[in-house]
Amino acid sequence: MKKNKNIVKTEKSAWLFMLPAAIIYLSVIVIPVFYSLYISLFKWNGIGEMTFVGLDNYLNLFSGDATFRTAIINNLIWIVLTIVVTMTVSLGFAVILNKQFRGRTFFRGFFYFPCVIAPIAVAIIWRWIYNPNMGFINQFFEAIGIDFSQQWISNPDTSLYAVFIAALWQAIGQPMILFLAGLQAISPDVLEAATIDGASGVKRFFYITIPLLKDTFVIVIATLITAALKVYDVVQGLTGGGPNDATQMLSTYMYSQVFQYNNVGYGTAVACIMVIMMMVVIVPYVSFTAKED
Amino acid sequence: MEGKTKKIAKKIALYVILILLAVIWVVPMFTLVATAIKSQSDFYSGIGLFELPDNIAWDNFINAITQGRLLTYMKNDLIVSCLKVPLGIFVEALAAFALTRLKVKHKTGIFVFFLIGMMLPMQTALVPINVIYSKLGLLNTYFGLFYVYIGFGISFGILILRGFFNGIPKDIDEAAYIDGCNKWQLFYKIILPVAKPAIATLVITDFLSTWNEYLLASVIINDNTMKTVPVGIMTFVGEHGTDYGYLCAGVLLSVIPVLIVYLIFQRHFVEGMAGAVKS
Repeated sequence: MKKNKNIVKTEKSAWLFMLPAAIIYLSVIVIPVFYSLYISLFKWNGIGEMTFVGLDNYLNLFSGDATFRTAIINNLIWIVLTIVVTMTVSLGFAVILNKQFRGRTFFRGFFYFPCVIAPIAVAIIWRWIYNPNMGFINQFFEAIGIDFSQQWISNPDTSLYAVFIAALWQAIGQPMILFLAGLQAISPDVLEAATIDGASGVKRFFYITIPLLKDTFVIVIATLITAALKVYDVVQGLTGGGPNDATQMLSTYMYSQVFQYNNVGYGTAVACIMVIMMMVVIVPYVSFTAKED
Repeated sequence: MEGKTKKIAKKIALYVILILLAVIWVVPMFTLVATAIKSQSDFYSGIGLFELPDNIAWDNFINAITQGRLLTYMKNDLIVSCLKVPLGIFVEALAAFALTRLKVKHKTGIFVFFLIGMMLPMQTALVPINVIYSKLGLLNTYFGLFYVYIGFGISFGILILRGFFNGIPKDIDEAAYIDGCNKWQLFYKIILPVAKPAIATLVITDFLSTWNEYLLASVIINDNTMKTVPVGIMTFVGEHGTDYGYLCAGVLLSVIPVLIVYLIFQRHFVEGMAGAVKS
């Protein structure tokens, strides 16, 4: 009897404990998402009358908007690049920094450092590195006597990759730390046993280390994909989506539609498509995380 | 003997790779410093990036602070961060406490509900928040900014704190209740102090992500006297896009507070982040 009474009591106070977080979360995240869905069904310039247009914004986006198509493709390229390049490079760094050597702590801190700088500052710094006349890269090629001067970010053929390299400088820190944590969790006995059985270093890495890092890979891939879908600061600061939409992302396109062209309904529809794309990643990831519990 | 030589060769190879990578990684910071110390007239005379100027252009730094309003931006950013971080962590810890130590129906469901926000793009909130804020007069206010930041930080905070709270033995609760603690006292006097390492990690990561946030701040703040550092240095680019020395001095100065925080708490970053993820 007494125990039952306790359960009821506890539940009430539990709601009180969760209340502040719930109120803020609902008002900042949940309600705005639904409000955005609502706005995306209207033609609206942000100030005047809202005209209901149903799904027209979405239909227009998918049927005739070349910039939108470019943005989606760029986001997909960005996802592939982060999975292939960012993940490989950060795993490589983690493997090196997991070895025993003097100065290990220093190097870990050193390679993680770009992570703590504001992405917008990173963009400004790299804008300067890519400067065709005075920037580091072209000056470096000139100094070593190679004629390889490029326009880098103002050339539509190279700009997306140039922006990606700038982002990469900062982006490896987080996955590197995750991989380091994963590597440290692997018991040395397992690797030793494999060595005794005659497995070479490369074999040990691919047949033992990588499979044991499965959980880490799931977290890293999920965070990299969501970050790739959201990427904004570094693009906005370096190119603003240009030249000629060559680096246009869903995020930059959404921003320019809403805040530069005042197509608020239309731009919000882009934001809603971002949410839907994100859900495709989140739902399996969250169900995986919840199952782990 | 042969094994030893091989070991040394391996070590040397490791250091060569590391130093090579470190040199590549330092390029952006090198560029920033090498540019910030040069004056406009140095650039007109066609000075190379790798050459030292005759005189270090301290004026760039002074101008960035005085004309560039850099101190105002830093003050604003500091106020917003110092409000957001403790309040956010407190709210997250309360919820994480309920989700781990109290009886709650659909625990996992509520946790997942809170988790989803971590991955939603801020873009979805931009227009609604802009509309609501302009109605409530919250644009260009500290409250408007840090309130949204708390909202977007809740998912990650609950994820980390819930993980850590779960690792604290449940026996502690029993003992505390027997000693006459109520739930609030258990939370405030026992669980929070025990969770210090997780909170320390959260304080640092939270502080940096708040300090560095650009998108929401650029929409909520457009008054020059209220801008945070990231929005402020973008204003720099707009106003002085061609004065590279001045621009780089501003960016360099904006990085220095972060660098100091990082150097003091470096251990927490690498070890703490890893620990937070493991739990």
